[in-house]
Amino acid sequence: MGNDDHALVRAVLAGDKDAYGALVTRHSQSVFRVAFRITENEADADEVVQEAFLRGYRKLEGFDARANFQTWIYRIAMNCALDVLNKKKSHSVVPISEEYDADQPAIQPADQSAGPDRLLLSQEIEARRQAAMEKLTATERLAFVLRHMEDRSTEEIAEALGIAPNSAKQAVFRAIQKLRQSLAPLWVKP
Amino acid sequence: MKHLTEEELIEHYYLEDFYKAEAELHLQACGQCAQAYENLGRLLGSVRAPEAPARNAEYGAQVWQSIQGSLQPYSQKKKRFSFFWRQLAYAAACLLVLAGAFFAGRKWEHAHTSSIAANVEPKAKERVVLFVLDNHLDRSERLLVQLKHASADGAEIDQPLQSEARQLLTDNRLYRQSAAHANDPLLNATLDHLQRVLLEVANSPDGLNAADLARIEKEMNTQNLLFQIRILRTKVAGQGTNAQAARKGASI
Repeated sequence: MGNDDHALVRAVLAGDKDAYGALVTRHSQSVFRVAFRITENEADADEVVQEAFLRGYRKLEGFDARANFQTWIYRIAMNCALDVLNKKKSHSVVPISEEYDADQPAIQPADQSAGPDRLLLSQEIEARRQAAMEKLTATERLAFVLRHMEDRSTEEIAEALGIAPNSAKQAVFRAIQKLRQSLAPLWVKP
Repeated sequence: MKHLTEEELIEHYYLEDFYKAEAELHLQACGQCAQAYENLGRLLGSVRAPEAPARNAEYGAQVWQSIQGSLQPYSQKKKRFSFFWRQLAYAAACLLVLAGAFFAGRKWEHAHTSSIAANVEPKAKERVVLFVLDNHLDRSERLLVQLKHASADGAEIDQPLQSEARQLLTDNRLYRQSAAHANDPLLNATLDHLQRVLLEVANSPDGLNAADLARIEKEMNTQNLLFQIRILRTKVAGQGTNAQAARKGASI
């Protein structure tokens, strides 16, 4: 797939605009998934996908032929997601709710078949997780999402965020420490 | 026993630690670390990735449809960029003209400065000639005074004085040649006269005694020569002062 991507990139740069359509079709789903995990909002994730591929097209001349196109477009998507997060943070405050809010589609308990106690705990965890994620810096959040949810290695995270591997590792550590502070009270044994 | 740090536990959780086997053995042996690791696992296990809403198979095509209208093919982009290059070429041409004007100005200034230098150069040369000539006349004057004193005292002339006469003779030939081109009768006559006296003094094989000196003084009228040299020196000194004043005026 990597070689195919490179061939498509060359075709685009040679003037075949539709070749970029093939790249978009191939990578949209995965970019949307990671965009949603970062923004946790469907509309924002769609916006990130479109913006990432637009920026990608404009920057395609700077694409290093030795690089992996997916990693490269991920990195652009990260920056787009970062912009969306920063824009949202400056315009609104995410409510930290202790209770389940049916009007917020992003906060949905995964386990619908569980009992009422379990359901309540899942909602509590999800609300606190969201609150904790909001407290992370953009780098910490992106690093944690890539590490924990996308199962990316430290090197891949560093490459995607354009930082040193050790910085990427530290960002993941800090994110987990902050999550622990927010979520630990739920795990106190009776 | 050294416990695992939180960072090491996190690395172990994500299987990124270099010493997986050692960490595993330690976790089996150390209850405290095992508890910490269990808590970490529970914490991270509870943080599940939000489930991304499903996107149908046409999603990629839809994204492409939404953005393709705002994308220019790269070849057309290049044509559009040709405008940029044209502008760049104009800018480069302007810079070239400016650079040309700059260098032409510098060249003109250099030529102008050279012509001033060319005008100044003969004056500088004249000052050097006057200085050297004055030095030569000074040495000649001292030699003639010493000869006069030797003649009056009846003493024999010594070897160093004869050597000085020979040196002066060599120099005098050069000054005579130079003076022949200059239209200065007094200078020509004086240097000729000095030449003859120096020849006599320098070329006497057995040295010069008082009688020889008296003869030279009488036959060659060295007293008059001494007078001529003093006049010349005064004249040369005057010309030197004028040249210096002219130089100062030029520099101002």
